[in-house]
Amino acid sequence: MTTAISLVRENAESMQPPRTLWVSFPLGRPLGKPDDAAFQHRVIDAALKLLSAPSGPVLADFPEDAPPAGLSDAPACPVSFSKPSKDTDSWKTKLLDELQTLVPWHDLGLRRRAGRSLVGVSGLSMTENIEKLGTLLDNETLPITELKWFKSAIEDTKVFYLEALTAQPGHYNQEQLEKLFWHETALGAAILKFNDMFAAHTTLSYMARIITPRRVLP
Amino acid sequence: MSKVQPPLGPKVWTHPNRETAELRIALITTAGLHFRDAPAFEFIDSTFRPISASEDANSLVMSHSSVNFDKAGFAEDVNLVFPIDRFRELEAAGKIGSLAEIHYSFMGAGLSPEAYETSASQVAGLLKQDKVDAVFLTPV
Repeated sequence: MTTAISLVRENAESMQPPRTLWVSFPLGRPLGKPDDAAFQHRVIDAALKLLSAPSGPVLADFPEDAPPAGLSDAPACPVSFSKPSKDTDSWKTKLLDELQTLVPWHDLGLRRRAGRSLVGVSGLSMTENIEKLGTLLDNETLPITELKWFKSAIEDTKVFYLEALTAQPGHYNQEQLEKLFWHETALGAAILKFNDMFAAHTTLSYMARIITPRRVLP
Repeated sequence: MSKVQPPLGPKVWTHPNRETAELRIALITTAGLHFRDAPAFEFIDSTFRPISASEDANSLVMSHSSVNFDKAGFAEDVNLVFPIDRFRELEAAGKIGSLAEIHYSFMGAGLSPEAYETSASQVAGLLKQDKVDAVFLTPV
């Protein structure tokens, strides 16, 4: 038997799996709220109850929304990204400088999370990834023969930033984090530059879609 | 991918013949999770990764190819996507019969559901070997 959480009600309505609990939570959060065992248990209980349904398919709606984080709930951003860099700074220099400001915060976050980190999919260190990405941009070239490494490096660097920016405990507003990353950091600007380069490529334009969410594009 | 996909086949229904407190349960996610030493998922990938219940789930990483969801919650709490600790608590409280030895992750981006038939069938066979009665499915 199966029982499933669904984040997209239309999918469950059309595919009609045997037992589905639709939840109103944002994508990326099927159990609703991090570090809230009681809330997560309510979600699980509601989905497990569907196993007792006498017939199906069953599509039920979870009655609670995950409490949103207000803009004032989160701790202040630990890093200021407003420091103007010299016009002559290369991408590699700008990105490495920015990385260095974040390392202590990432370390703090690691200690708070008992060593847990999502960084590491690329197999390279943060410095190695940033150096390679910066060099590509400075040379205005795309990593045509290393697309798998490139995607994993983008994801590793993004999650490193996320873990550094959320080093302090608190309830973070996703939109605020997203706005900060994409519009105030050199890495965000670098990925948007890669997005534009891939989008203009005759055969690799699909890469733009898997490194940048459409909602952050101007 | 369109939000409207047709059913995969004729409706299948298994009647419950035991209480939830007697069921052996496995977790399956499409969040692209794996341990660091396991191969990352490709951009488009219908394979699966086993997640052993005896390993530390806090060591799981995510190589899902979509950029359209936020990872901050998962970075904070693995249970937000893969609620293994919650299910351990249910097992300890006797609210489920037992947890499976192995759980599974797929990577749910870029492919229509039919593309997963072979790997899903493999997992179904593995679940049977592990005497799993029910599966708790989570998206991302």
